[in-house]
Amino acid sequence: MTLQPGDGRGPWVLLSYRVPREPSAPRIAVWRKLKRLGVAQIGDGLAALPADARTREHFEWIAQEVRDAGGQAGVWLAEPTDPAQHRALAAEMTAARAQEYTAVTAAAQQAAALPPVQRRRAGERLRAELGRVHRRDFFPPPQRDQAQQAVRTLLVQTDDNQEVPR
Amino acid sequence: MRWATRAGVHIDRAACAWLIGRFVDRHAEFVFLTDSADLGTDTTPFDMPGVDLSHHTGPDGHAECSFETILRRYHLDDPLLWRIGQIVHEADLEDERFDVPEAQGLDVVLRGLSMIRTDDEVLALTGPLFDGLYEYHRRAGVLGREPA
Repeated sequence: MTLQPGDGRGPWVLLSYRVPREPSAPRIAVWRKLKRLGVAQIGDGLAALPADARTREHFEWIAQEVRDAGGQAGVWLAEPTDPAQHRALAAEMTAARAQEYTAVTAAAQQAAALPPVQRRRAGERLRAELGRVHRRDFFPPPQRDQAQQAVRTLLVQTDDNQEVPR
Repeated sequence: MRWATRAGVHIDRAACAWLIGRFVDRHAEFVFLTDSADLGTDTTPFDMPGVDLSHHTGPDGHAECSFETILRRYHLDDPLLWRIGQIVHEADLEDERFDVPEAQGLDVVLRGLSMIRTDDEVLALTGPLFDGLYEYHRRAGVLGREPA
């Protein structure tokens, strides 16, 4: 099956899940993983991502983790009946990533004033953060390019400085 | 022996198949399932949710991928295999536990391959790839630096 995310209408992969309230550790672990994947939370215990081999795989393992913790979970492929729903979900995800990119841009601009060694360290940290945001960015906002440019500028500035130890 | 995993192999399943074929069962035969109910009783499943040889929490409380689980279950303590395990772990779980930048590249290569080849072909192509990774890290260990 070939599934193309972001082609206008889905399909989506959905994770339905219910984790026992106690103990809290597995519940928090699941929550962290979903956050890291950049899911759209459709409702209580229902998360969505554009369907592809990778997103499906991640959901399948999280579902197993939920079951291992004594909860219930399922992984589904879905298409919204109304394209407007698709657009609303995509817009929600785009806005969430835009915020993250904006934070990276701001941090990069701030770090430009630091002495070379700290600047380089900040640049590397932000490059890693940018990679994390990229991985959960399914509908790229214009802020992506600005963030990329800001981090690149920061790293280039440090490269030009001969005193920076490698 | 017959071994089964889910169809549509990616990094963890390709690496597990290599590990099984080279270090666990020289005569391993692999089947790829689209329905987990098709699992025969004479077949050992791996990297499928709910089976033993899959993702688990390791003894130190961290998540581990199926490759690492197989290393544990079959007592494969070769440090080179654990080094490859770090690459597979990062490519598969993406949890930044290990600093292995090559993981992302390998993941991209595997994803691309899986788009144009069958599962059997992916295993045939990635076998030498993992052999090469093993040799690279073996030489790196001997030299104490990255081999040319």
